Amino acid sequence: MRSAEAPPTPLLQVDGVSVRFGAVHALDSVSLEIPRGEVVAIIGPNGAGKTTLLNVISGFYHPTGGHIFFEGRDRTHLRPYDVAALGIARTFQNVALFKGMSVLDNIMTGRLLKMRGSFLLDALYWGPAMKQELEHRAFVEQIIDFLEIEAIRKTPAGRLPYGLQKRVELARALAAEPKLLLLDEPMAGMNVEEKEDMCRFVLGVNDEFDTTIALIEHDMSVVMDISDRVIALDYGRKIADGRPDEVRADQAVIDAYLGVAHA
Amino acid sequence: MFYREAGQFKSTYASDQAIFPIRQDRIVVAAALVAAVVGVPLVADEYWLQAVLIPFLIYSFAALGLNLLTGYAGQVSLGTGGFMAVGAYSAFKITSAFPGVPIVLVFLLAGLVTALVGVLFGIPSLRIKGFYLAVATLAAQFFLLWLFNKVAWFTDYASSGTITAPPRAVLGVMVTGPEATASVRYLTALILVGFFAIIAKNLVRGRVGRSWMAIRDRDIAAEIIGVRPLRTKLLAFAISSFYCGVAGAEYVFLYLGSAETLAFDINVSFLVLFMVIIGGLGSILGSFLGAAFIVTVPIFLTNAPHLIGVPLPVALQKQIELMVFGGLIILFLIVEPNGLARLWQICKEKLRLWPFPY
Amino acid sequence: MLEALYAVFVGPFRDMIGAPSFLIEVVIGGLAAGLMYSLVALGFVLIYKASGVFNFAQGVMVLFAALTLVGLMERGVPMLVALALTMAVMVALAFVIERVVLRPLVNQEQIILFMATIGLNFFLEGFGELVWGSNVKKLDVGIPDSSFTVAGVQVNRLELTAAITAAVLVAIMAVFFQRTRVGRALRAVADDHEAALSIGIPLNTIWITVWSAAGLVAIVAGIMWGAKSGVQFSLSLIALKALPVLILGGFTSVPGAVAGGLIIGLGEKLAEVYWGPLVGGAIENWFAYVLALAFLLFRPQGLFGERIIERV
Repeated sequence: MRSAEAPPTPLLQVDGVSVRFGAVHALDSVSLEIPRGEVVAIIGPNGAGKTTLLNVISGFYHPTGGHIFFEGRDRTHLRPYDVAALGIARTFQNVALFKGMSVLDNIMTGRLLKMRGSFLLDALYWGPAMKQELEHRAFVEQIIDFLEIEAIRKTPAGRLPYGLQKRVELARALAAEPKLLLLDEPMAGMNVEEKEDMCRFVLGVNDEFDTTIALIEHDMSVVMDISDRVIALDYGRKIADGRPDEVRADQAVIDAYLGVAHA
Repeated sequence: MFYREAGQFKSTYASDQAIFPIRQDRIVVAAALVAAVVGVPLVADEYWLQAVLIPFLIYSFAALGLNLLTGYAGQVSLGTGGFMAVGAYSAFKITSAFPGVPIVLVFLLAGLVTALVGVLFGIPSLRIKGFYLAVATLAAQFFLLWLFNKVAWFTDYASSGTITAPPRAVLGVMVTGPEATASVRYLTALILVGFFAIIAKNLVRGRVGRSWMAIRDRDIAAEIIGVRPLRTKLLAFAISSFYCGVAGAEYVFLYLGSAETLAFDINVSFLVLFMVIIGGLGSILGSFLGAAFIVTVPIFLTNAPHLIGVPLPVALQKQIELMVFGGLIILFLIVEPNGLARLWQICKEKLRLWPFPY
Repeated sequence: MLEALYAVFVGPFRDMIGAPSFLIEVVIGGLAAGLMYSLVALGFVLIYKASGVFNFAQGVMVLFAALTLVGLMERGVPMLVALALTMAVMVALAFVIERVVLRPLVNQEQIILFMATIGLNFFLEGFGELVWGSNVKKLDVGIPDSSFTVAGVQVNRLELTAAITAAVLVAIMAVFFQRTRVGRALRAVADDHEAALSIGIPLNTIWITVWSAAGLVAIVAGIMWGAKSGVQFSLSLIALKALPVLILGGFTSVPGAVAGGLIIGLGEKLAEVYWGPLVGGAIENWFAYVLALAFLLFRPQGLFGERIIERV
């Protein structure tokens, strides 16, 4: 199911990608497209391969078959740090913050690829190095502002409650000014208020920074609310792909995942 | 009430990122620097300089190096002694081959050589992590020491198998060798460690330090941000080894006067590791605090019995030293695994509130 | 240049083939030394497998056990009684260690626990010297350090006994860990202290048991080493040598500790005897570590270790 207007080259194209671990087909010939500027939700039961999909896009796993195209070019076999250089950022299911660093430092690490520096000047913290550091600090402060985490910027990340950690992880991903943002269960473990905040932020990111977003999410009301398009996976295969209301009514998806409300 | 930050607002990011953002800290540090540079040489006697302050400065340097590698970059290393040896022997060879080169430059060159060696032994760190890496660094430790022992070229074919620091002067003042006074050697060590401590601080609060800490805390997430693990780790090994190499050169040239490989054996590696852990992993200040602790405990233990009038036979003293040392380490790890630096932070926080309890 | 290549890659092998019975003696010597390493490594494995702690003090525990045994026997205590008393001492030591060191540090990071065991190492070194004195002692367990000849090859009685003892110990431990309920509980504890606590595994009892068992292994190792080379302080440095053994064999594998020990012991001996003369000897100082390093590059988890899978 395509959206009404014919899109320009999709930002991300996954073409027949398979990932096998021994005899297990984590992903089986999955093909999908993520158009620029959209919010795409990936749903499915546990073990369906959703995180594996994100991992393959991020470069942690290399597909045993198929290709991945980013901005029209084949990017199938890149290492994660090269993928980052392309403009893809992500968050993780089990919040992967740097627990020993403060929130501010964590987010500043997200700016790493934007930092050009001479090592020598860094060592002296002189002139251009200091100027750059402060510029990046200013940018990061904008993100901190946007995500409303000013109060905790000097707190070590390991000491934050779970919900705030997830927000900081989002901030870190945003610091890289990504073209494509991959979120792995960004609302997991949050209460209703926190989820509303997160939805607001995700939509805000999509709106203001024009970032394309793909997120894995289990909460169907969130999915219905914020996504432009939904992709459903089951046992490593794509079983549905279309507008939220279409996918919600899709029989295969109902059978595999959503179930039917009992009278 | 003296330590209040109230009224000290930061209006620019620059002042927020300064090394000592609090005015009271700046005053204290300035005073300490004056005391160290001017006061100490005036007041301290030969014994204190030779037995306490100079080794303290040199060990701090080595602890800085190890802290950068293990505390910030998370790469456990038990090869510190070996790298210090590389620095010492390189300095010796360079200065005996080129006596005209200024001795401080010789130290730095020795550091560079050690950095290269460090990179070599750091290559396994891409595949090997944690404990296993520690064992790999042990290979460096034992191999390097064996090398310096066996290959007589390193000692310029000295029959005693030791290297001796030749007399060298800076601006007319003897810095190494039997003529060099303790004060001069102290000042040299102080200036060197002070300068490189600032460099270390600049590195860790910027881009480089953050990449290291990212690798230390979550290397997988670090990759997704764009950190290149091998490059980052090798940089850590290089810089850390540089520091250890310079410290090793200073060890022989400014402190011992002459040494053989025994001076750099595995015990030194453990000693420096203790300094880093007790002082605080991932803390520049901690490296100094840990070195101070480890240097003064034996001195204290040696002198305390005399002070309270109970002289002990030497062997017994050594045994008690070992026991107290071991006991203190365990005690420390139980009480404050984050080291003296954290205790210091807690002190400062309490000081902020003083005289109120909380 | 060609000469050098020949000397390294061909010469030693020709030497080996040229004197086969000598080669066999060297091999046996190496394997025997390797078994001694394994005995010490077994203690490490026990503790690591069951409590996740890398006990650097294992070497000094071997020393301490040997010292106690010898000290008692020197004072006229008959051997079997001395053995029983030493066992009691090691159990008491285990109690104290659990109380004073392990319990306060529960669930800390590995490096912290490791450093604590180094502290323990220093403490026990000082303490042992304090109590028993620092001169080298001869340990006589009734097995002569003499050789007999089998098929033209010399076999040392002591080494043979050590080999058999080690084999028996290994068998017992393997069965214990794999088959018994307690063994399973131990593996759970090694995996995650807090999780084990939360399902009701009595952590303290387990730790005391395990450290006592390691103490027993230490006694055996101490006897073997002490009988062979006298009870002296270099014994505590064996802890360091056990590291490459553990690397090869994996930190949690009982058969691995044996295999690792054999490989290291054999490799070291062969290297020293056949390649040592080329470079002035003392290769033994570093060969084991470099061998372990080389292994790690190809198999980061050692021969028998478990692959660490990180979940992203």
